[in-house]
Formats: sequence, structure tokens, C-alpha cells
Amino acid sequence: MSHWKIALMIAANLALGALPAGCSDKPAKPAPLKELLVKRVSADLSKADPGAAYWAQASGGDVSLLAQPMVSPRPEKATTSTLSVQAVHDGQRIAFRLRWKDPERSEAGRLGEFSDALALEFPLQDGPLPPVMMGAKGMPVHLFHWRAQYQRDHEKGKPTIAQLYPNVSIDMYPMEFKDAKGGTEAQAEAFSPGRAEGNPQSYSKTGVDEIVAEGFSTSSVLEGHGSLAHGDWKDGEWSLVIVRPLAIDGGSKLAVGGKGNVAFAVWQGGEGEVGSRKSLTMAWTPVIVQ
Amino acid sequence: MSKVKNWQLGREVEYPYDESRPKRQWAIIFDLNKCIACQTCTLACKTTWTSGKGQEYMFWNNVETKPWGGYPLAWDLRILEKLGRQDWGKNGEYLGKTLIEAAPPTERVLHYAPTDEDWMYPNVGEDDCAGAPVDSGGHVQKLPHDEWMFYLPRTCAHCTYPACLAACPRKAIYKREEDGIVLIDQSRCKGYGECVRACPYKKSMYNPYTRTSEKCVGCYPAVEEGIQPQCVVNCIGKIRVMGFINPPWKAREDNPIDYLVHKKKIALPYYPQLGLEPNIYYIPPIHADPEYLHQMFGPRVDDAIQAYKQLVDDPVAAGLLCLMGSSDRILHRFAVEKGVAIGYDADGAEIVRVPVTEAIYERSAFDAGRGAARHNTP
Ligand code: HEM
Ligand code: SF4
Ligand code: SF4
Ligand code: SF4
Repeated sequence: MSHWKIALMIAANLALGALPAGCSDKPAKPAPLKELLVKRVSADLSKADPGAAYWAQASGGDVSLLAQPMVSPRPEKATTSTLSVQAVHDGQRIAFRLRWKDPERSEAGRLGEFSDALALEFPLQDGPLPPVMMGAKGMPVHLFHWRAQYQRDHEKGKPTIAQLYPNVSIDMYPMEFKDAKGGTEAQAEAFSPGRAEGNPQSYSKTGVDEIVAEGFSTSSVLEGHGSLAHGDWKDGEWSLVIVRPLAIDGGSKLAVGGKGNVAFAVWQGGEGEVGSRKSLTMAWTPVIVQ
Repeated sequence: MSKVKNWQLGREVEYPYDESRPKRQWAIIFDLNKCIACQTCTLACKTTWTSGKGQEYMFWNNVETKPWGGYPLAWDLRILEKLGRQDWGKNGEYLGKTLIEAAPPTERVLHYAPTDEDWMYPNVGEDDCAGAPVDSGGHVQKLPHDEWMFYLPRTCAHCTYPACLAACPRKAIYKREEDGIVLIDQSRCKGYGECVRACPYKKSMYNPYTRTSEKCVGCYPAVEEGIQPQCVVNCIGKIRVMGFINPPWKAREDNPIDYLVHKKKIALPYYPQLGLEPNIYYIPPIHADPEYLHQMFGPRVDDAIQAYKQLVDDPVAAGLLCLMGSSDRILHRFAVEKGVAIGYDADGAEIVRVPVTEAIYERSAFDAGRGAARHNTP
């Protein structure tokens, strides 16, 4: 894709975001988000709670998303065009509340199913801003990637094959026997290559993955730093909270009284979106931590 | 996009990466006239590789009845229909588009995404005939047969230009330099399933337990030891031989695979028009519907069938077919001398020696020495 095309798309995106609220017959919408003001709250942010009272006072606004325009495979049109963003902090942690329309709740599991997901992106280092398209070599970004699937794993346990396929009939698995002692866990895991290789994707985690990337195709999951997330889906809308420490050693840093940047991406599992198939912001949104 | 040479199509094709042929290219030849759909190959692969959680439905090797069978359901019809017209020129060059050339700008490969249910009927259509009306009485009276079917055993084709590899946005799929085997890195794969969507042969499969995609590994640990894959060495019909294929400009007449594919031209890639240069080759079934075979194997299929019918008069080719299934070792070279076919390993050491025509022994019906009657049941 040529640069002018991308530039055009960004321009179109900005223009769309700038439409006067009066154009639509819906109730007046929050203004498009120019910068995200993060107020301090004296609340417990050690829990991700989309229904907490402090959200009523938190500032924020809407960001427009477009279909990932640069590398295939990519969506033909943005499946999520607007994301409502708010944030608060408690001096230690920062919590983001994110709301977007999604006609069905998708948690993946069986073949050909994909999960609803959202990611926050931050520059990993100080200095010049990395490209918003997942950073670049030597300019890493720090991502917080929530999936409905990961949340279900974390809250209800990773589903077994029998839970995913209730009518499945299995005589036995290697190293697991009904009426005799089986092998060790490691011996059994040898038959599950992803797990045997220690691939984070094959394990249940905290609900939100911390990822580092230096350009697309390079993302890899990091050891987490205590970030957490919880989303509720109701009446065709996700309301999700992601909480992360303000400053992360060796990771992205935000500071009280300081300024940072954030970008957003949303995946609609029901539309087969995963990986590079997503809606996203093509510019950084400044974050002002008050 | 790079332009790469695809000898199966007689022209250059588009591919996201440059041409880089491996030192050796893994290949299997199947003689479809001999497959009996016993599924021993399927089970040999299953018990070796896919007995774990999330692999319950997986058959890296499967055998389906053509034209009705398909695992997953109608995989071939669905991708052929999507691709549209597939014309060939007079000189055997492909005039249509490959899956990569036909991809819309948002995709790397033209594809369809199989659903969960599509994988649930691995043996659909088994033994069902096509061609004649149901009430025709089931008589086969003509050659080629007016009522026909054949068995199609399939593994991953370890393509020269794999669609699975092209589609992976994480670059988690790689093709090995030493033998051309295509593998998914199980520590990098994130289960996006782009390879499952993109592989037209549907030989990349998602594991819902590990949440990574998995595929036929070409039995690489055996291949590294000079041994043929499980699905090959366990084949009851001895219809298979695994070896290494060279591109036609490097073909060696004493290499069993090159001999059948390039010299005799009796073994053909399937659906070559999809553009991946797949490396499983089929000796076409000589009595099945010619039009169907033309669609599956391309315009050279009639010649391949003619050449196959003449093998009885060709002691070298007949000898090579006798070597199929006669050793578990990989044959790098073969020779036929004085009615004996001999296979050699990579170092030129002899592996196996078989008579092209079995000796016939005549013995009297009664064994006087043992005082017992002889019969033919072993
Ligand atoms: C034009 C901009 C972008 C492009 C071309 C792009 C491209 C890609 C590609 C090719 C992948 C798959 C390979 C990999 O895992 O590394 C991917 C995955 C990912 N991207 Fe991006 N990206 C863009 C922007 C963003 C933004 C703005 C965010 C976050 C705010 C983001 C978050 C992620 C995450 C979390 C994954 C892993 C997804 C998963 O596991 O399902 N990307 N992206
Ligand atoms: S084992 Fe051989 S004969 Fe039997 S189904 Fe497989 S390929 Fe055919
Ligand atoms: S057959 Fe499919 S899975 Fe195998 S190498 Fe070719 S494209 Fe990849
Ligand atoms: S080559 Fe090995 S892994 Fe591939 S189908 Fe045959 S037995 Fe299975």
C-alpha cells in the first residue's frame, strides 16, 4: 500500500471523527478524544470493575477506528468503528474503561472460532514515538492484549475438549489411563506440542497478555507485571476494564503529572478477526496523568 | 510480490517470498491404481503423531473416495469454485490464475475457511460411484469405466511455494533447507489459523487444546535417519514411495522420483493450477473419468495414463514399481539389472534387491518327505 493512500485514510478518519454531533439522530455523543485526561481517584484499582461508581466522573471520549490498512490479511472494512475510552489512576495503577459495540459475544474454543479482543499499545521507551503500527526495530511498543477467551480461562478455567465438544468420545489419551497409573505430566504433555514447547498460547494466563513488538510479525508475549482485566458483554456492547501499573520496570512508563501516549485495536471474533485482522487507531492519543 | 519459477505450470507465478529451493525436496509418489482405502496409512500416522488432546479429529494422512469424498467436506470443490476458470494452453502452460495471483488485495491467498462441522465426516462418500444413473444396474462395461470412483490418499504436499507459509502473519511457518519439509514452529504459532484458511489442500489443522495449528511433519525424524515416513512404510498396497525430487532442469534418471515424474511422466501433482508446486505426485487411476482427471491432474494426464499402460514392456520402470514398498529406507538411486531391481541409499550402499518377476516354483501336490499334502494357503 502506498503512503498517500494511508495518509488519505487517516485524513478520512480524522474528518469522520470531526463530524458535528448534530448530524446524527442519536443522543449527543461525547466529543472525539483529542487527549485522554486521567484523573486520580481514591478507589481500589486492584480489581478491574467496569461497573464501578468512579467511571461516572472519569473523563474520556470516543476514538474512531479503521480497518487495519497496511498488511494482508486484513479486514475489508472496520467492524468496530467507534471505541469509547476513559481512564483513572490511583497513584500506582492506571485503569482504562473501553466500550464498543459487538453484536455477539465470542470466546472462541472450537475449530474456526475466534475471540473478541482489545489491545492497548504504549511506547516501551522514552524518546521519539515509535510507529503506531506496532513499533519498529529499535523502537519497541508494549501491548496489553485482552481476549474474551483469556478472561474465560482465567475466571472459569481453560475448557477441556469434553467441555468444548460434549459428545466427544475418547478411549484414552497417551499416558493417561482410566484404571492404571499414567505417565508424568511432562510425558503426557509431550503429546501436546504447543505445551511441550512452553508456548504461552497453550496455557491459561491472567486474562490480559503483556506483549512486546518491534514491528508487525514480531510480537511476543512477556512475563506479566500484574496487569489485569475484566469485561462484561451486555446487549451488544462490551464494557472492559484493563488495569496496569503506571510504571513498569523495563516496560512502558506513565507518571503522575506526566504525559504519555496510547493506541487502540479491537478484534471482533464473530467476524473471524484475529492477529492482523482488526480495527485500530492509526495515530497515538496523548495521555495526561493528572 | 516476487516472481518465482513453477515448473508444474510452465511459467512464473507470484509468491510473497523469493524463490529458494531446498537442497533436497521431500516427495511421495502414490499409485492410485493400487490403493485399496484400507486406511492403514491413516492409522500409522494417527498413532505416531496425533493421539493427543485437541488432535482427536486430525488426520494428517487421510484417504478419501473421489469424487464424493473430501476431508474436510468438499475442500476441493469449494476452492476450485472460488478460483473460477482454470484453462491450460496448448503447450501445457497454465493460463489461469493461481490462488496467490487471484487473492484480493486484503488477503495473501484466495481461500475459504472450513467450519468446525466440515471436519466431522472424514469418510463421507466412501466407495460411492459417480457417472451412471442410480438405476443403471451397476454394470461396468466400458473402459474407461462409465461408473467410476477411486481412492485418493493425501498428506501435506510440502509445497515448494506453500500457501500456509505465505499466509502466516507471524512467520511461524518455515520450509527446511535440508529436505524441503514445511513445519509450523510450535513455540511461535499463535493459532490465528491463517494457514488453515490458506492451505487449499486443507492440510494445516487447528488444535483447540494447544491453540496452535499443526500439520503433517513429513515424519522428519525418520527422514533424517534415511527412513521413509510412517504412512509410506506401513502402506499395505505398497502403492507409495517417498524420496527426493529435483526440479526438471536437475532431474536424474537414476533417482526413483525423478524417473517416474520427469522421465516417464507418469506421476503428476494434484491440482497444480492452485500454484503451490505441491510435492505429492499421483499415478492417475487409468479407468476413472478422463474429464475429472483432467481437472485434478492437468492436461498431461492422458499421456501419463498411456505411459502407465505401456510399463509392462519397460523392464526398468517395472523394476522400479517393484521397489515401491520393498524397503523402509529412502531410495536415493535405483538400477535394474538382469531382471533384478536394486535400491541404493544416499552413500551409494545397496539397501534392497528384488526380482522384477517372481520366480515360479512347481512342486508336487504331496510332500513325500513330510508325508503331508501341500496347499497354497500360507
Ligand atoms: C497498521 C497498523 C498495524 C499493523 C499493520 C499490524 C499488524 C499486525 C500483524 C501482522 C499481526 C500478527 C503478527 C504478530 O503477532 O506479530 C498483529 C498482531 C497484533 N497486533 Fe497489530 N498491527 C497494527 C496495529 C496495531 C495496534 C495499533 C495495536 C494495539 C493497540 C496492535 C496490537 C496487536 C496485538 C495485540 C497482536 C497480537 C494479536 C493476537 O494474538 O490475536 N496492532 N498486528
Ligand atoms: S495404506 Fe496404502 S493402500 Fe491402504 S489406504 Fe493407505 S495408501 Fe491406500
Ligand atoms: S499442502 Fe498445505 S499445509 Fe502442506 S505445505 Fe502445502 S500449503 Fe502448506
Ligand atoms: S509423512 Fe508422517 S506426518 Fe506426514 S502424513 Fe505421513 S505419517 Fe503423517
